[in-house]
Amino acid sequence: MTFNIHGGYLEAIVRGYRAGLLTAADYNNLCQCETLDDIKMHLSATEYGPYLQNEPSPLHTTTIVEKCTLKLVDEYKHMLCQATEPLSTFLEYITYGHMIDNVVLIVTGTLHERDVQELLEKCHPLGMFDSIATLAVAQNMRELYRLVLVDTPLAPYFSECITSEDLDDMNIEIMRNTLYKAYLEDFYKFCQKLGGATAEIMSDLLAFEADRRAVNITINSIGTELTRDDRRKLYSNFGLLYPYGHEELAVCEDIDQVRGVMEKYPPYQSIFSKLSYGESQMLDKAFYEEEVKRLCLAFEQQFHYGVFFAYMRLREQEIRNLMWISECVAQNQKSRVHDSVVFIF
Amino acid sequence: MMEDQEEKGNAENGIGRQKQVKDEYLLQFLDSLDGYLTLLDSLSSTLSQGWLELASARHAMGASRINGALLDLKVHAAATSLKVSEQDVDSMESQPCFTLCKWASSDNGERSSGEEKSLSPQLRHRNNSQLSGIISSPVSFSHFFNFFLSCEEEKVSTRTGTPLILVDQQQRQKSLSVFGVLVSPKLRSAQLSFERALETLVEIANLHTTMLSMFEQVHKELENTNG
Repeated sequence: MTFNIHGGYLEAIVRGYRAGLLTAADYNNLCQCETLDDIKMHLSATEYGPYLQNEPSPLHTTTIVEKCTLKLVDEYKHMLCQATEPLSTFLEYITYGHMIDNVVLIVTGTLHERDVQELLEKCHPLGMFDSIATLAVAQNMRELYRLVLVDTPLAPYFSECITSEDLDDMNIEIMRNTLYKAYLEDFYKFCQKLGGATAEIMSDLLAFEADRRAVNITINSIGTELTRDDRRKLYSNFGLLYPYGHEELAVCEDIDQVRGVMEKYPPYQSIFSKLSYGESQMLDKAFYEEEVKRLCLAFEQQFHYGVFFAYMRLREQEIRNLMWISECVAQNQKSRVHDSVVFIF
Repeated sequence: MMEDQEEKGNAENGIGRQKQVKDEYLLQFLDSLDGYLTLLDSLSSTLSQGWLELASARHAMGASRINGALLDLKVHAAATSLKVSEQDVDSMESQPCFTLCKWASSDNGERSSGEEKSLSPQLRHRNNSQLSGIISSPVSFSHFFNFFLSCEEEKVSTRTGTPLILVDQQQRQKSLSVFGVLVSPKLRSAQLSFERALETLVEIANLHTTMLSMFEQVHKELENTNG
């Protein structure tokens, strides 16, 4: 009843932002473009127009993605500066995933002797924090934590991965996934504490995210040096697949075994039924389509924070769509454009 | 009279043999030209497939995980090298022969001899070429090319007894590890596509030298005929 006192204005704002998402007609026009300049021309009639209008030709796909991301960042910052507790904390939680990605990018790039400035340019703007450049001086995870991350929101997530081992590709990968697991679990607990419609809707969305991560970790680790135990440790401790699905996924050795596990769960049967046996190329698109369906459903209820999470994720999906369309146009592969575009409306 | 007829017969046989040799050179030239064009077609479609798979991997894993800023600038030996040797043709002239030496770096010095894959040209049967035009990629592939090399699955044991097929898989994963250990299958597919493209390039180079050599032979024969 009292939601609108503190959250009403921002809920109205985010619902207005949602109305600006690209429609199927917009995507049809974009998919027929011959060049990136054509894409820019079509986007100029959308809310992305002001962000792309001053970009000179020839355009690159990365430029289109950067400018579209800037729009998302501006909208997010507008909402964050207007938000009060606990909505402001909720909005900050949405960006921790990008923060983790940026930390891993800087650490990996430094390991490969890349220039820090070059790496900072590649970081996602939603995941930036003040001392991020200092990450380049750390030699192991203990130093990473002590020098930089202790003062960031990621600090609580480091307890499970603090070691004095030198950073290498495998340790970094385990660090990435361990941090993300801890973040998802923390976000989940926070939403449960909020209660009400927020807890109900966010539980479903975060559980789906946890399950999808488990499947991706399983498929990506097939044929690698990651042991079954290590794989199991990277799965989150919640979600539909927890705990029995995780036990079965941990021992999978190929995509068909993963399919066999997932088809026991009705919500994921429809996803895997779209794939042929032995094939995993379309799995990402199938998961994205399911995610978009659930995110759109979040807008059917009022007076909860799930709409903010849903909007951010839908915009990110839209940017992924634009990235894919741009790549297909730039590479003259328009016949493949529908392989990965997920329509939102 | 008999001697005249015999001489005439010998002369006709000689002309017939010359014509046969000329036709043979011409056929070899045309075959090598056909093979060259077929391989060019195959290369462009393999490269375009590789680029699309890379874009697909970027779409799945995110731009922060797949970008040029992650490539390794540490000093290390080349994963693969190209050996150029001279090959004698008809004991009269030599032509360059290109051989791909996969995983020839000291990082994997345990490989036994005979692993080099010689992609010497062969006469090609006329098959249907893959449908593809020449597709230019907007992104320079010199950055990414060196990181997507891998070996074919040759079942030759190394001195340690480890099957090369496993060594190849390990090296393949190692070259992709710049993007992380848990990478999407789409990135692995892109790696295989670029690997195939590299092999095709070496085949094209070898076929090109053969084609030029055949062309010179045909040209010589024509000059001899006209002279």
